[in-house]
Amino acid sequence: MEQHRVMIIDDERIVGDMAKMSLEQDGYLVETFLNGEAALTRLGQERFDVVVTDLKMKGIDGMQVLKAVKTLHPGTPVIMITAFANLDTAIAALRGEVHDFFPKPVKIKELKASIGRALEKRA
Amino acid sequence: MKIEQKIVVSITFNLGLILLIGLFSLQDLNLVLTKLRFTAIADELNASFLEMRLSEKNYFLYQDAAALEEIHGNLERTMSSIDSASADIASAIGNQNLKTLKVYVNGYATVVEEVRASRLRGSDAQDRLRREGRQLKDFSEYVTRAERDRVQGIISSSKRFFFFSFGAVFLLALGVSHFISQKILRSLRAIETVAKAISAGNFDTVAGELPHDEMGTVLQAVNSMSEELKNREEALIQSKKLASIGILTAGVAHELTNPLNNISMIAQNYAEYYDQLSREQRIDLMSQVDGQAHRIEEIVRNLLDFSKPKEANLEVSDINETIRTALRLIRNTLEISNIEPKLALAEGLPPTLIDQHQIEQVFLNLVVNAVQAMGPGGTLTIATGFDAVDDQVRVEVTDTGRGIAPEHLPHIFDPFFSTKGVEGTGLGLSVSYGIIRNHQGSIKVRSAIGVGTTFVIELPRYHEPPRAEKAGG
Repeated sequence: MEQHRVMIIDDERIVGDMAKMSLEQDGYLVETFLNGEAALTRLGQERFDVVVTDLKMKGIDGMQVLKAVKTLHPGTPVIMITAFANLDTAIAALRGEVHDFFPKPVKIKELKASIGRALEKRA
Repeated sequence: MKIEQKIVVSITFNLGLILLIGLFSLQDLNLVLTKLRFTAIADELNASFLEMRLSEKNYFLYQDAAALEEIHGNLERTMSSIDSASADIASAIGNQNLKTLKVYVNGYATVVEEVRASRLRGSDAQDRLRREGRQLKDFSEYVTRAERDRVQGIISSSKRFFFFSFGAVFLLALGVSHFISQKILRSLRAIETVAKAISAGNFDTVAGELPHDEMGTVLQAVNSMSEELKNREEALIQSKKLASIGILTAGVAHELTNPLNNISMIAQNYAEYYDQLSREQRIDLMSQVDGQAHRIEEIVRNLLDFSKPKEANLEVSDINETIRTALRLIRNTLEISNIEPKLALAEGLPPTLIDQHQIEQVFLNLVVNAVQAMGPGGTLTIATGFDAVDDQVRVEVTDTGRGIAPEHLPHIFDPFFSTKGVEGTGLGLSVSYGIIRNHQGSIKVRSAIGVGTTFVIELPRYHEPPRAEKAGG
């Protein structure tokens, strides 16, 4: 079976660690990044099936990551995590630019379900 | 004495002096007038005496009997005019001279009377008449001349008196106005200093005893204004704090969300994969939970520190020790960031009176800021020293970080001002500022973009209070 590549970007190390731990149990290939800069470099080299990103980060933030993904890999769904749900994320989600968004604290099962739906929709 | 009173008194004093000078001059003038009146009388008398001498000559040379009658008539007139002007003459030449004059006139009159009665024409009578006549004329001329000289003397001494006394009045007025203006300027300078301090946000007051005049009242007003501003500022800060509780709540909620989310995610995985996890993995996850709990605790404590400034618990301390303690607390953070602090702690620093925990908190805040500004591998320098001139112990915390933009510098001590985005609450420097201020110290910053930032803290040196003599018994 083909392994799906998931990119997780969050400046909170534990978010990436825990999501990776759970997703790997389900057979995903997971790469985690602590900031937008490193993630964008990696996106230039590799296509991911799903990108999960935190919204508010120092330097390149979630919205910039979203834009970069839409440019580099237009078909790749982006899931947004926010410590603080705000209007911008809601609007982006309604426009269909964001596949889904999760306010913290994140329910890992729901996140995984959402990733699964994103892959189905893409396929 | 009030300045107004001083001015009134000095002007009154000067006016009094001028009046006195005027009175003296008036007296001189009266004297001169008296003398002049006398010389007018004296001229008349001298003319009469000259006429008598002429008649005398006519009598002896031309045997003119009518000449004796003329002398007699002249004498009568002269005596009556001396009598009528005797007050004036006496005041001009003195009673003694008047008496002498009268003696001479009477002596001459007696001789004239004798000659007239006896119709004498001998050389004896001629000699006596001539002698008496010459004596009278000489004396009269002498007195007149002397009085003229005295008039000259009075006028010239009066001129000198005028010159010197007006000079003295001028110098006195100059001195008094200089003294008063110096006094006013001194007070103005004190006000200027305080005003500058106030505009710099330092609500100082004019120290020392205030003068008991209008400037004293002004200085007192400035002092109470400064006090009032200080109180208002404190009230303002307090109300700012209350007003920002809303913002703070949002900020704190945001701050807490991340560690809470971390704990939640760890807990979800822990429960989900409990059976697959090794003992070590479980312990590791739980210690991560503990770490996040500490993070929450830290946020809450900072918040409490900010909202409820505690009474300082002051102890006499060596600031170097406080710095070392603070560094021990933050050693882990420094190691992770690969930063080895450089210490330049001066030996034999004078003691300071500080709350150890609060000052540690300040150093922790500064060091954390420095670490965040530098990232791994920067140089953190902490130097201490003593400024003997200001009697202050100084600590400088220097980093080689990215520096603070000039437009941000004036705000870095404001509550909730942060350049660190999600990493900062914007409270660290504000709290530090409050702590240092409560210690009667100062905290200042200098920074250059790309070069680094230095925070300079100055705390007053602690002076041992003079030991009071123990009362007996």
